[in-house]
Amino acid sequence: MAKPTTIRIPEDLLNEINELVQELKLDRSAYLREVLRKGFSLDKQDRLLRKYVRKEISQMEVCKELNWDPWEFLTQLKERNLNLNVELEDMLDAADLPSI
Amino acid sequence: MARLVVDSSALILLAKCNLLEIVCDLFDVIVPKAVSIEVASENLVKNYPDAALISELMSKGAIKIQNPGRDRVPSPLSLHKGEKEALLLAINLDRSLFATDDGKAIKAARFFNIPFIVTPKIVVELFRLQKISLKRARESLEKLSIIGRYSPEIITDALITLLEKEDGKANNHKDT
Repeated sequence: MAKPTTIRIPEDLLNEINELVQELKLDRSAYLREVLRKGFSLDKQDRLLRKYVRKEISQMEVCKELNWDPWEFLTQLKERNLNLNVELEDMLDAADLPSI
Repeated sequence: MARLVVDSSALILLAKCNLLEIVCDLFDVIVPKAVSIEVASENLVKNYPDAALISELMSKGAIKIQNPGRDRVPSPLSLHKGEKEALLLAINLDRSLFATDDGKAIKAARFFNIPFIVTPKIVVELFRLQKISLKRARESLEKLSIIGRYSPEIITDALITLLEKEDGKANNHKDT
């Protein structure tokens, strides 16, 4: 169930929102809820990916939190121009494959 | 046959750079059940060719699914189920190598003193062991850069190592 909350926003932004909802005949509360949900979702993605880059969480932990699969994870890294959180030091410390 | 315990990140990148099948031919590739679910569930198999390939290799037994056992490892780092089980398998299976492309899983492997390997190093090593050509190794590294999101620094290092090994081979041939 939706619960009420109060926030203060700049007048010019409020005017712009009011104009838009009138023009598109939208319910202002429903519109603001949707915008807030989208913004929060994007912010959550950014926060988790920053934690991933700092190696505070793993790739699959990010996937679980954001409901992504590992392929979506790679696509999102590409869209944000981010790299895997593996460092050159890891590559240099990696073991050799055993002789076959 | 040498054992590779592989987590989801490495399994997907090996498939993406077209080396998963040869790795399965050369090594005993083992994954825990949690990893098989993370990368080859019915829904993923429908949507991603890599997942379909992984699923097929699992069905053929080229990728073995093994229970990591009941032991709990006291780790200072939290990991997701698949990464945790893969690490536990690598601890429990003697003389196995943990393949991962996740920085945090590597941190955990260092903590437990488990030998680990990352996919670009697997490419370089397959070339060193003369299992793939220089051309194929370069193509795989390109894929790891573009699709696999490996940093340019790591890909450059891997390419330089490839060329050094190629030069070494050429010089050896000259000497003989």
